[in-house]
Amino acid sequence: MSDVATAPGREIEATPRREGARLWGKTGLLGIILLWCLFPFFWLIMTSLKLGDRALNSPDIFQGPFGLDNYRNVFEQDFQLNLRNSFAIAGMTTIICIVIGSLAGYALARLPLKRKILLLTGVLAVSLFPPVALVPPLYELWRNLGLLNTWEGLYIPYTAFTLPLTIFILTTFYAAIPKELEEAARVDGATPFQAFYKVIFPLAAPGVFAAAIIIFVTAWNEFLLASTFAPRNPEVAQTVPVAIAAFTGQVEFQRPIGTITAACVVVVIPMIIVALAFQRRIVAGLTAGSVKG
Amino acid sequence: MAETRTAPPERNRAPTGRGGPRARRKGLSERALARLFIAPSLLVMGLVALFPVIYAMVLSLYSYTRRQRTGFGGLDNYVDALTDGRFWSALQFTLTFTVTSVAAEFLIGLGFALLMNRTFRGRGITRAAILVPWVIPTVIAAQMWFFMFNVTPGFINTIFGLGDFSWIGQPGWATFAIVFADVWKTAPFVALLLLAGLQTIPAEMGESGLVDGANAFQRLWYITLPLLRPAILVALLFRTVDALRVYDLVVVMTGGAFDTESLSVLVQQFVVRTPDPGFGSALSTITFVLILGIGLIFVRMLGRDIMVGRGAER
Amino acid sequence: MRKAMTWLAAGGAFVLVMAACTPGGDDNGDDGDGEAGGELVWAIGGAEAQPGGVHQQVAELWSEQNPDNPIRIELLPEEADQQREQQALELQAEGSGFDVLGVDVIWTGEYSENGWVESLEDVRAEIEEASLPGAFESATWGGELWAAPYNTNAGFLYYRTDLVEEPPTTWADLCQVGVAAAEAAGIQPFIGQGAQYEGFVVNWLEYYWSAGGELYNEDQTEVLFDTELAAQVTQFMADAIAQGCYAPGFNTAQEEPARNEFQQGNVVFMRNWPYVYGLVNEDTGSPANGNFDIAPLPTVTGEGTISALGGFNNAVSAFSDNKDAAIDFVTWAATDPEPQTLLATEASVPPTMESVYEDLSDDPVMALLGEVLPDAKPRPPAPQWNEISVEMQRALHPAVNGQGDIQSAVESVRDFLEGTIE
Repeated sequence: MSDVATAPGREIEATPRREGARLWGKTGLLGIILLWCLFPFFWLIMTSLKLGDRALNSPDIFQGPFGLDNYRNVFEQDFQLNLRNSFAIAGMTTIICIVIGSLAGYALARLPLKRKILLLTGVLAVSLFPPVALVPPLYELWRNLGLLNTWEGLYIPYTAFTLPLTIFILTTFYAAIPKELEEAARVDGATPFQAFYKVIFPLAAPGVFAAAIIIFVTAWNEFLLASTFAPRNPEVAQTVPVAIAAFTGQVEFQRPIGTITAACVVVVIPMIIVALAFQRRIVAGLTAGSVKG
Repeated sequence: MAETRTAPPERNRAPTGRGGPRARRKGLSERALARLFIAPSLLVMGLVALFPVIYAMVLSLYSYTRRQRTGFGGLDNYVDALTDGRFWSALQFTLTFTVTSVAAEFLIGLGFALLMNRTFRGRGITRAAILVPWVIPTVIAAQMWFFMFNVTPGFINTIFGLGDFSWIGQPGWATFAIVFADVWKTAPFVALLLLAGLQTIPAEMGESGLVDGANAFQRLWYITLPLLRPAILVALLFRTVDALRVYDLVVVMTGGAFDTESLSVLVQQFVVRTPDPGFGSALSTITFVLILGIGLIFVRMLGRDIMVGRGAER
Repeated sequence: MRKAMTWLAAGGAFVLVMAACTPGGDDNGDDGDGEAGGELVWAIGGAEAQPGGVHQQVAELWSEQNPDNPIRIELLPEEADQQREQQALELQAEGSGFDVLGVDVIWTGEYSENGWVESLEDVRAEIEEASLPGAFESATWGGELWAAPYNTNAGFLYYRTDLVEEPPTTWADLCQVGVAAAEAAGIQPFIGQGAQYEGFVVNWLEYYWSAGGELYNEDQTEVLFDTELAAQVTQFMADAIAQGCYAPGFNTAQEEPARNEFQQGNVVFMRNWPYVYGLVNEDTGSPANGNFDIAPLPTVTGEGTISALGGFNNAVSAFSDNKDAAIDFVTWAATDPEPQTLLATEASVPPTMESVYEDLSDDPVMALLGEVLPDAKPRPPAPQWNEISVEMQRALHPAVNGQGDIQSAVESVRDFLEGTIE
């Protein structure tokens, strides 16, 4: 697809004799990377398919018996509701962060503002306090505001704590866009706001989508706040990681590894699809814009 | 403050310089727009984060016996924390962990990014594969690596025929196992940011290197990396401040045994396990100041890039 | 560019839809607004509190018998630390969201010190008469009763009947017999809970107590910590690791990795809770299946047996709107044979009522528990227990693993204990 245009002219120079060796080298490298990334995931999948307590703990990945019982268990526990909550909460966090973070990033990168470094430091500082120390006061506050066990109760703090990362990413990406382009637009009579969303925003698309994936995944995987502010009730706001941590064995002390890994596989597959969809945008960014001109 | 010096002087003086052609074009409306743009972010962050942070800082000035407040202690909690050997050993582990894991993540992440930026057969699956580790929730990834490294079931020992080697049951190797798991999990984060950065480098930049007959490494060193600098700095900044707060991996894999107790584990202990809100908050504040200090170094470096922009570097 | 706009528009639409907000946000909310009517809320966690678990059955039984004050379980997380944290957040805010609290045996003192739980002195006589002495002791602090015993637990020695003739009675014997048997079978001798966590303290205390050691005197006003004895048992454990009596995974093992070693047939002996019995019996492919038995834990001296006591008591929240009914419930759950028997028969959860064990002697686990529990010892349920435990882990775990000087480790534990009674 459009990706083809991304790395023009990088692979032309090899002579035929060296090509064979290079190909082998490349394939080997790719193999190692795939193994590195996927072997643990493969273990997850195999474990999620195992039945019986001992098979689950066997060092032999291929020891059976195998079956889909673990997946049945996962969905018997209303896991689809947890998925819904997580999608909604992570989605809301991503959208709010990108929208208001874009504005802030643009202002910091392009518009005249006093004490930018101080502002950036302040922004960064927000996310640096050890979160566990913030939980007790926030819990009290949330309790009084009636935000416990609600989606808002989670995506509002997620937004606040992910905004610094968003703003930093977007600021640097906006700053990297040649000024002339924007000025050209202004000369053509565009207002500052038009200049922002018609010229800058699309050009910064790779950064925007990278930020979006990062925010989404961060919010999706967050555990501490989710487990304190919405610890129970999948019907309301319990998120995926909290639900997975709440899986129990049949008896006290027993850890349901099979169910946990099955849930994890169920979670990872849609996540990869989302991440890939966004990543496409990152890579497609250049061709959509007009920098080359 | 000293930071303001780096800002171009004409911007600081802009309100007084009204009337010039520049001010008419860029003046009040832009300034107002800037404030308008930045207001929602500051509002959200301020409303959510300011209250609990200040609350925790105030608590750190009181002395407690477990959860019962016993009086105003001033800086006693800070003195106690800074004279506690546990703080220093936690700091040592945290710094070791941060330096090694961030360095490895940067190198691997850069490699991934350069790879994802190219066209080759099997590109789709490689790109998907690289993201897999990162989307697995940390708590689960930590458990998975516990299974991998631990003597039982001992997957790594089985694969490499290491018998009963106890990776997480001895100092040194326990740190290695935690660093390894973190690198596996978060290198894709660095890769994504750097990939986005690579994508904004105009193609003709890379080509101009070709014309000069530079080899691949020279191209990377003299052209790509300098252009990638802002993205690299952001990635390093956020990896560093995150690594300095490492918690889940340690708790799940070693529980802080074998010299692997991190600052966040220590903070968690005094907030949750053996609650002492005063001491816990003081420890949090110290951790916060420390991380902010390290973060500031990056911000200063980044600040220059943001102020000057890429245009000036050409 | 057009695409970016589309994304932005789609995003905006999503915001609008989502802003309609959380589904069913208030019908199931438990944000502590005073519960209407007489319904009680029981905050308890773990496997047995899940739908279908035995705590649910106990709750149903009560609700049937007391339709005016039915009880509903508010499910807490799996891990004890997280259960405590969630109760603490609600109680710290003086919320009335929970009426009955499932309280780990080591939290009694802390909860009473914080004023989170009602005194149960009014029903003390009834409860004391019905309960096992160790379980009862774990529910008291400062001479007052703060919770009603509900379920208990004690450690067993699991051993392979195909590899050893009979269970050893001293720890030294265990290592001697174990090493020989393990060598013959090509496996490891012993595993227990040696990771740095609460379970390690439990394992260590079982050695120390069985050697005759104590932490405090009866009413916990004086420290009786015997550094010589403590150094001796710590040295024993360090030697057991160094000489290969403990399996290599010992120092990273919690309950489940230990069970796994035993179930995979990798060890001759294991110290673990009763739950393992049923699981190994179900696993017909396990080398241990049909080839193992349970026995009281060995001691250092060879006399009797001793085990650290586990389990959960039920306390009444000081902020409950319905204290009388809550007190009735916890008393009923502690003293009525029906719920107590249910625990044992439905879920093999050890009950705290002494008389129940007499009728359960057909069940080997319950029979052994009936034998072991009268000698089981609670960890001191002091408000400082968590701090003491952390300190013991930090000092003794490295010492056991050959990382620090044993003498100075046990001295630092003694100093810490002394600091707690001033």
